[in-house]
Amino acid sequence: MIYNLALTLVQQPEVLERVLRVTRHRGFKITELGMQLDANGDTKLDMVVESERALEQLSHQLNKLIDVTECKVVSTKQLTQTANA
Amino acid sequence: MEQGQKIRGADAVIKVLAAHGVTTVFGYPGGAIMPIYDALYGAPVEHLLSRHEQGAAFAAVGYARASGKTGVCFATSGPGATNLVTSLADALLDSVPLVAITGQVSTAVIGTDAFQEIDVLGMSLSCTKHSFMVTDVNELIPTLYRAFEIAASGRPGPVLVDIPKDIQIALLDYKTPLLAISPEPQASEQQIEAAKVLLSEAKKPMLYVGGGVGMAGAVDQLRGFIDVTGVPSVATLKGLGSIPHDDAGYLGMLGMHGGKAANIAVQECDLLIVVGARFDDRVTGRLATFAEHAKVLHLDIDVAELGKLRRPDVAIAGDLRQILPAIAQSLEIAPWQAEVASLKANHQWNYERPGELIFAPKMLNRLANKLPEDSVIACDVGQHQMWVAQHMWFRRPEDHLSSAGLGTMGFGLPAAIGAKVARPDACVVAVSGDGSFMMNVQELTTIKRRQIPLKILLIDNQKLGMVKQWQQLFFEERFSETDLSGNPDFVTMASAFDIPGRTITQGDEVEQALDEMLNATGPFLLHVRIDDAHNVWPLVPPGACNRDMMDEMEKQT
Repeated sequence: MIYNLALTLVQQPEVLERVLRVTRHRGFKITELGMQLDANGDTKLDMVVESERALEQLSHQLNKLIDVTECKVVSTKQLTQTANA
Repeated sequence: MEQGQKIRGADAVIKVLAAHGVTTVFGYPGGAIMPIYDALYGAPVEHLLSRHEQGAAFAAVGYARASGKTGVCFATSGPGATNLVTSLADALLDSVPLVAITGQVSTAVIGTDAFQEIDVLGMSLSCTKHSFMVTDVNELIPTLYRAFEIAASGRPGPVLVDIPKDIQIALLDYKTPLLAISPEPQASEQQIEAAKVLLSEAKKPMLYVGGGVGMAGAVDQLRGFIDVTGVPSVATLKGLGSIPHDDAGYLGMLGMHGGKAANIAVQECDLLIVVGARFDDRVTGRLATFAEHAKVLHLDIDVAELGKLRRPDVAIAGDLRQILPAIAQSLEIAPWQAEVASLKANHQWNYERPGELIFAPKMLNRLANKLPEDSVIACDVGQHQMWVAQHMWFRRPEDHLSSAGLGTMGFGLPAAIGAKVARPDACVVAVSGDGSFMMNVQELTTIKRRQIPLKILLIDNQKLGMVKQWQQLFFEERFSETDLSGNPDFVTMASAFDIPGRTITQGDEVEQALDEMLNATGPFLLHVRIDDAHNVWPLVPPGACNRDMMDEMEKQT
């Protein structure tokens, strides 16, 4: 599946590393990534990830990170071809 | 707290610890944490010097697990911090509240490869619940308060605070911060109703109890739930002690080295009530066949565990102390209770073995029956750990300290030290194996230094026994690097640390030797040589269904 996520993060120097580490370790491949700091002190992160695993395997773990304030699923779609075929 | 008087960051650290009721910290000094050790000098917070940072952090873990309080450890930058990694990972996998404070090189030289500099914050990401590096002295106190709050709230875990040396010596006004408390998940009425319906429809309900019950302080509520419902139960390694061992429906540990009755009953049940447990692979065996006909009611504080490995029919995230009484109701399950009772009666442990040698399971069972009411067993990892879980019994989960999730050899001795500090009146016994014991053997010095009167039961088969067992069963008896016959003379070694001890080799010596150990006023090491042919049974082979347990097949040599 392909999942399009929109995260709101607390601005901390290492917050991006935390998100990337959890995403990799839980078995999701990042195919697109965009980040910006906004004026009210948050970091907005949009990412598209691919995995055979259910989204909750990632979203629940991201939500557990102390510096992740929101993890929204923007869209979900089927992978058109199977990875590692 | 006095206002308006400037103090050093290092002094503030000690004040925050005292404000959190911390009476003992475990650690090892070094260059980048010297100001904090200076602040500690003469302070009301006691420090227990370990001889390796891993030992310090495991002592803090033992302290936390035996007392339910948050453990605290100190280490310096670089190697001090890297030595903490294993213990932090252990605390993460076993959900132990721990605050680790590390010194760091000064902010001006961070990122220059300074002496004893390593990126501790980066290193901490995979082995802590959360971590901080303090770069502004005004953030120091709020950060430490946050660290304590995060470590103990929700699903507990280790939190690391990295404090550069210049922050430790910078001056600040001590102010108690106002903290926002993290909201905990709450059970809804619909969830409670749905759970009650599942329970009332079940003909063969089974409780699968994990470490979360003890961590949540919900042991009494769990026992109350069992009293009301009469539901039979099994426990994980960390769940042992949650249910009274003589409860009629309690079948002991399940999983890879679980009892036969426990595993069969779980396979037979039609409703699995999972309480503070997480479907670990050592519990489930082949996941697809685990309790395959059962519906699942999953209760846990951590939302991420609900549906992670097994889709629940009803899941409730929240405080077990509230959920368990809310869903308790009397059930009509007499035929199932009778079936479980018969399973239990048909699968009792057999402690009779031919020969004069010592049978470790029998010895451990004797030890459990001899221990005073206030006792803690801290064990290491391997065959002896599984024998402890199978053949000993515990009054409360905090009486049994075992490295469950990470399976860290070297855990037992330092964890026992921490437990004895936390509960000085308890009888604390470190049960170890000849492999594990040597992994943190330097902590014998800690025992000597403080004359900590804990007991060490060292079960010695001159083997890395669990690995040897797998080589025997699954690797065609190719015993690669599992012979430990080069062990030191353990009793002589203990005597070098002023710890008296003795060696026993015969079954008829066990009774008197256990008494001698337990009655010793100071520390004591009982070295028990056992037959290396004994393995841990039953065993669910890796990847097999829990129903397919292998039985005893002793090596005939």
